[in-house]
Amino acid sequence: MTPREEELRTGLSAYLTRRWNAETHIESVGRIPGGASRETWRCAAMVGEARRGVIVRIDPETSLIDTDRATEYRAMDAAHRAGIPTPEPLFLEADLSWLGRPFSITTEITGCQASADGIPDAHRGAMGRRKWALLGEIAALDPLAMGLADAMPPTTLESCALEQVDYWAGVIAADALHPNPVAEAAIRWLRRHPPPPAQKLSLVHGDYRTGNFLYTPDGDIAAILDWEMAHLGDPLEDLAWSLDPLWNWSRLDLAGQLLPHQEAIRCWEAASGLKVEPAAMNWWRVFASLKGIGIWISSSEDYHNGASKQPILALAGWLMTDRQQRILADYLSPYSTHKFYEARA
Amino acid sequence: MIPKGAEGVRHLATRAVTDLIPKAADAYMAADIGLMASLIDMVAQDYDRAVDVLIADQNDIREIFQTALASVEDTALTARMSAIISARAASFRVSDQTVQADAAMRVLIDLHAHVEDAEPRGDPWAAPLNLRIWSFLDAHVARHAYESAF
Repeated sequence: MTPREEELRTGLSAYLTRRWNAETHIESVGRIPGGASRETWRCAAMVGEARRGVIVRIDPETSLIDTDRATEYRAMDAAHRAGIPTPEPLFLEADLSWLGRPFSITTEITGCQASADGIPDAHRGAMGRRKWALLGEIAALDPLAMGLADAMPPTTLESCALEQVDYWAGVIAADALHPNPVAEAAIRWLRRHPPPPAQKLSLVHGDYRTGNFLYTPDGDIAAILDWEMAHLGDPLEDLAWSLDPLWNWSRLDLAGQLLPHQEAIRCWEAASGLKVEPAAMNWWRVFASLKGIGIWISSSEDYHNGASKQPILALAGWLMTDRQQRILADYLSPYSTHKFYEARA
Repeated sequence: MIPKGAEGVRHLATRAVTDLIPKAADAYMAADIGLMASLIDMVAQDYDRAVDVLIADQNDIREIFQTALASVEDTALTARMSAIISARAASFRVSDQTVQADAAMRVLIDLHAHVEDAEPRGDPWAAPLNLRIWSFLDAHVARHAYESAF
């Protein structure tokens, strides 16, 4: 066991003993790859003779996205109570005395994986239909009735779209290490062509994509992960993000490497009860790629100026920025051959 | 100099994937090595092309500014474009070329916004200039693209 693992084992044993009011011993800890926004650890806790698996997400020294752990926890908790498959949230802890940084704990979901590379071809279609049906179910929820009004910044049907543009334009302005003429052209385009008001205000997951859910060996989606960018907004934002070509770079025919683009939209419409209006969808597709550039530029800034030198931050800043620029140019250039044709809903 | 620089750097990435990942202590370490191998491969690509890419960007932007100077009336903007046209990087080092390319790009972004404002007013020079800028942006994006299996 490394010193860091030993430190976690000791701190978590004491913490869970206190919270569960029962002598608890952490038997093993192992860091989970990915999870760039939080340090994520899988831990086996022995509570007496009973074994309980938990996932601990610890605030990083720096990360891809500046996120609010309380918002993430509240969104996941609300979704869990509404019947959306998520890991069960157990504890949210801001006291630094336990692990040195704030953290949250959820139940472990065993026997699953998240990697898009591991999805068997035979399961792609069914998994895709389930993926976009679940996103439609999230879109259909009433976030205010779920008690999320005080957990997230307020917004309106009319203002939510351009508020998001302002936010990500601000991130790009603050963090860009080099000027990005394609992103700037996209920001201007988005502001000149605002979308119609949202059909409803929804809980927007903020990073709903293949790779951010756990699936079982037989292809069922067991839990939706990574709620750290959740907010209130237009449900088309999540749909457009989920369909961004970045997530199926090597398989442009399958949105999210799972399902033909139009079939994904039909699944979402059926589950949400909402209709996808092509002009609005096109606006959100451009926005999704701009938001992507914002995230990747921010990660690059973190890599160069922040405390962490995690290679995933550099990869996002180098490769993902490049690819997202190519997607945006494909959407906006008058010379485009529209290689990413699925953008045209 | 590193002999056969790009090729030599790429060998490091291959070595990391074929020999180091199988010996990684855990999945987290294996994933990190995989990411680093991808990054090293991108360094190899930039090693070969960086100066060419940066100079091509600057040459294209100067040509756009030469065209724009005949039509744009905003004196502050024309002064900035003229300054870029006559400026040269301090050396052929990538760092110096990057400073100069960034300076040119910032002025190009402002020119592009200016052109987009002029086009709906019907200024006849605006539409062709907008097309020329997009032609450059397409070339710029293609020049900077990485090949990666990741």
